[in-house]
Amino acid sequence: MHILPRSGLPRLVDALRERYELYGPVLHAVSGDPLFEKLDDPAALRLDAPIPYNTPKAAVFPHFEEILRYAYDRPAQAVEIVRADLVRAKALIGVRACDLTGLACLDRFFLGQEFVDEVYRDHRRRTFIVANTCLGPFPQCFCVCTDSGPYAVEGYDLNLTGLDDDYLVETGSEKGAELVARLGLAPAGTDAARRRDAAVSASVGQFDPAARDNKAWISRAVNRLTTGFVKNETWEFIGSQCFECGACSYVCPTCSCFNIEDVLPAAGPTRRTRTWDSCSFEGYSRMAGEHNPRRPIEDRRNKRFFCKLSYSQSKKYLRPGCVGCGRCARVCPGDIGLPNVVTYIRRETTGR
Amino acid sequence: MSNHTGVCNYCGTGCGHLLKVEGGAVRGVYPSPEHPVGKGRLCVRGWHIHELLASEDRIAKPLLREGGTAREAGWDEALTAVAARLAGYPGDQIAFWASPRASNEDTYALVRLARSVFHTPHIGLLSDAGHHASSRVLLDGTGWPAMTASLADIRQADFILIVGADLTKQNPIVASEIHFAARAGAEVVALSGRTTQMARLATTHLRPKPGSLATVLLAMARILIDERLQDADVLSRRGGFDAFRAALAGFDLATVESRTGLSPEALRAVTRRLAARRALAFTAAGVAGPDRDTAALLFDLFLAAGKVGREGCGVNPVTGISNLRGASDMGAAPDMLPGFRPLPDTAAAAGFEAAWKSRINARPGRRVDDLLRDPALPLKALVVVDHDDEINLEADAVRKLDYVVYLGAYANPFADLARAVLPTTSYAEADGTYTNAERRIQLNRRKVEPRLEARPAWRVFADLAAKRGQDWAYRTASDVFADIARTVPAYSAATYEKLDRTFGGLQWPCDAARPQGTPRLLAADGGRLSFVPIPADPARPALGDEFPVALLAGTSTYYWHQNNIMRKTFIPRREYNALLLLYPQGLVEIHPSDAARLGLRDKRPVRVVSAKGAMTVAARVTDDVLPGMAYAPYFIGPMIPGFLKPHAADIERGEDTVIPVRIEKV
Repeated sequence: MHILPRSGLPRLVDALRERYELYGPVLHAVSGDPLFEKLDDPAALRLDAPIPYNTPKAAVFPHFEEILRYAYDRPAQAVEIVRADLVRAKALIGVRACDLTGLACLDRFFLGQEFVDEVYRDHRRRTFIVANTCLGPFPQCFCVCTDSGPYAVEGYDLNLTGLDDDYLVETGSEKGAELVARLGLAPAGTDAARRRDAAVSASVGQFDPAARDNKAWISRAVNRLTTGFVKNETWEFIGSQCFECGACSYVCPTCSCFNIEDVLPAAGPTRRTRTWDSCSFEGYSRMAGEHNPRRPIEDRRNKRFFCKLSYSQSKKYLRPGCVGCGRCARVCPGDIGLPNVVTYIRRETTGR
Repeated sequence: MSNHTGVCNYCGTGCGHLLKVEGGAVRGVYPSPEHPVGKGRLCVRGWHIHELLASEDRIAKPLLREGGTAREAGWDEALTAVAARLAGYPGDQIAFWASPRASNEDTYALVRLARSVFHTPHIGLLSDAGHHASSRVLLDGTGWPAMTASLADIRQADFILIVGADLTKQNPIVASEIHFAARAGAEVVALSGRTTQMARLATTHLRPKPGSLATVLLAMARILIDERLQDADVLSRRGGFDAFRAALAGFDLATVESRTGLSPEALRAVTRRLAARRALAFTAAGVAGPDRDTAALLFDLFLAAGKVGREGCGVNPVTGISNLRGASDMGAAPDMLPGFRPLPDTAAAAGFEAAWKSRINARPGRRVDDLLRDPALPLKALVVVDHDDEINLEADAVRKLDYVVYLGAYANPFADLARAVLPTTSYAEADGTYTNAERRIQLNRRKVEPRLEARPAWRVFADLAAKRGQDWAYRTASDVFADIARTVPAYSAATYEKLDRTFGGLQWPCDAARPQGTPRLLAADGGRLSFVPIPADPARPALGDEFPVALLAGTSTYYWHQNNIMRKTFIPRREYNALLLLYPQGLVEIHPSDAARLGLRDKRPVRVVSAKGAMTVAARVTDDVLPGMAYAPYFIGPMIPGFLKPHAADIERGEDTVIPVRIEKV
């Protein structure tokens, strides 16, 4: 563990800038919206900004990304395929523990199964992550219920925890250690771990009592989802409020559904493009021959919650698919973000 | 910073979004949490608008078509040709068809070009049929043609009446606000024969028979007056009350149940709650909307109850397309000058002649679709901005015209009918203001360079004027807006500089007395309110033995904002196709009891026959409709010439217009 004075943060940022494009939390110049953004001006970085409305996932799994080009030469009957080499090395600065856990889930989806997604792998291999401990939750946060914050335990290159005038710097990789050495950071004192734990504990103490005191809130829902005991009426009640906009998937740090389209410009090669997608759309699960295993909206809705909370799905992520960031609750036009869904499932047994 | 603030260009809600720009191209979209309308939400369309903006399917260069062959042309050559050709026709043979999706600047310049350069009063607006009735009722009753409340009033209200529309489909974020209000305890009453998602989310769903919405509102007004629930202060100061009361006097409440299917007791209970609470009314406007009688009765009911101009109260038509409100404000109408001044109005006309330094044609014109449907076809030339699939309705007439000019950003079947095609910018490629349903003027700044040779439409119109010898001195969109502020009083204190400084924009009237705009109309100047004329006996559907089923035609349920535009996206296109794949020949919803009686089965073809037309579609058997009712949610393929076209005027009258039909087993 090392110490970086708060005033020394620009040195860390400058060192990263030599090798990476920088991303981090900012407040939008016009709207004031907290966003996780590409930093044209490193001085815009705001590690103390509220949790960004968008997730860092967009940096490694973009909303709209060209992944390859191909051209068909008709006379020669030859196809030329060119992998899009658009992936740049990126440093994600100020990633909160929930979002970092989200990246871990995406890693297991894109890289951890029999098929490895090469485009995502290129992004991730060239990513440097500076995590940032949340010293106070925001109103929608419940990471303490999903074991994903407010302090990150893995998956970072460096992890910062603000302690008075300093950041405590923890190292999670060789790249991180190399940077610490290059900056010549001072080792932390013997009481650093104790101070860090006190700060994290104080942060946990600020969470909503419902999140803090009732660890069974989520786990009870996990149990009922996994065993299939959720009543159909509950799903219909939830489904009737779904506007089918896809927002919950798009803002979710762990949602990995995507769509592929081939874009044909007036001239030049075809551009194969990947975009975000959502299992709540009717067209998402439609198969050839018009068969759709998931027609009614309540059916599609519950699929997403199975993906986030059922044990069978959690085995693939090695953890629940929900990281407790609360973004789905903020963007949902129908007010059926995951916390409300969990509450409705719990009400079946608790009656409240 | 790669995320740029802007305004969604799909529906009239006007949600704020952030467009992600990388490498000079739009590569993503995100809702803006701080924006006063969307507050961090977008609907399925808004979440995919970047797919449209990234589309390669653009009109690339000016195109001239001569003797059947099309060729690319330079801008100057194209403008010279178009200006010369249009100048060759007398004004009453030219029509301009404006777009409710275009900016205020574009439409204002179009109106100026039409009235002052080519001297035609025939200015139409896509969707004006579903919008005109409610605008005119509000203009007559309040002096302003738009929503009297703000969307922010939704969470202040404790009673919300939704007449007809399925806002969850047409304006999803407005519906979301209503849903949140309901969850916080407001009563939401949906008045709709069909069970829509909006009706499912409502706390009370009243299901009147098709064609009886106006009668229901008339009965509620009668109950309000009979029970002395009216607002005494309002009535003492409002004109037209005696005529309103006289119209009600002839209505017999005992007939209400047989006419509407709703009991007097149920209507009494709802009317009492409406009168006692802060109450808002919502209707759709644009893609579909209420007929004139329904709009008038709704307004008078709310006015009598004292529910206009107060916190959490108001009558609110919600525009279905992004700038339908603004386009109408800019005078895209045959019978209005900019600033909603109904014609004839010699003083207003003189004002515009002075401002525009030109003689103008200030006669009331005719609606463009009326002109195209006139068997005599009095038109020779047509200038069209950014139109879409509705061309299917009028293509035959358009083909007969002498000269057609099309301006648009995206490739479109309409362009194939045009002799001159001019490429215009997408809304992300030009500065422009857009006015949402609640009168909110928002400045949307250019985020990317115009694609290929596209130019803003206002500039094209100014260039055409210059070819005819008029120098409008429009160098930037801001110059056009300054001209708007000079001539449209409700916009007079708005400037680009002020709109840039005010995130979320300003609500008109924005004038010297109200420089920061007016969220709620009439909070201060309630003296201008008056009752509007209402029918004593609203029309009854003419059902009989030959045509016993009341068919309602829906044009909005699956209207995804110019389906031509949706076809240029990825995910909305797929979702739209998913629906069409289930019912590729179209569908008609019928009640299980009717299906059983006629021996019809779900998804099997049926023939729908009216006095004017017929179509063969699939039956969708569902209790979302009432017994004796049928609902056709969209028109496709042979349904259009066979049924939609002969009934176009009926359907345009209002969304509750019944077409008597019989349904036959095929």
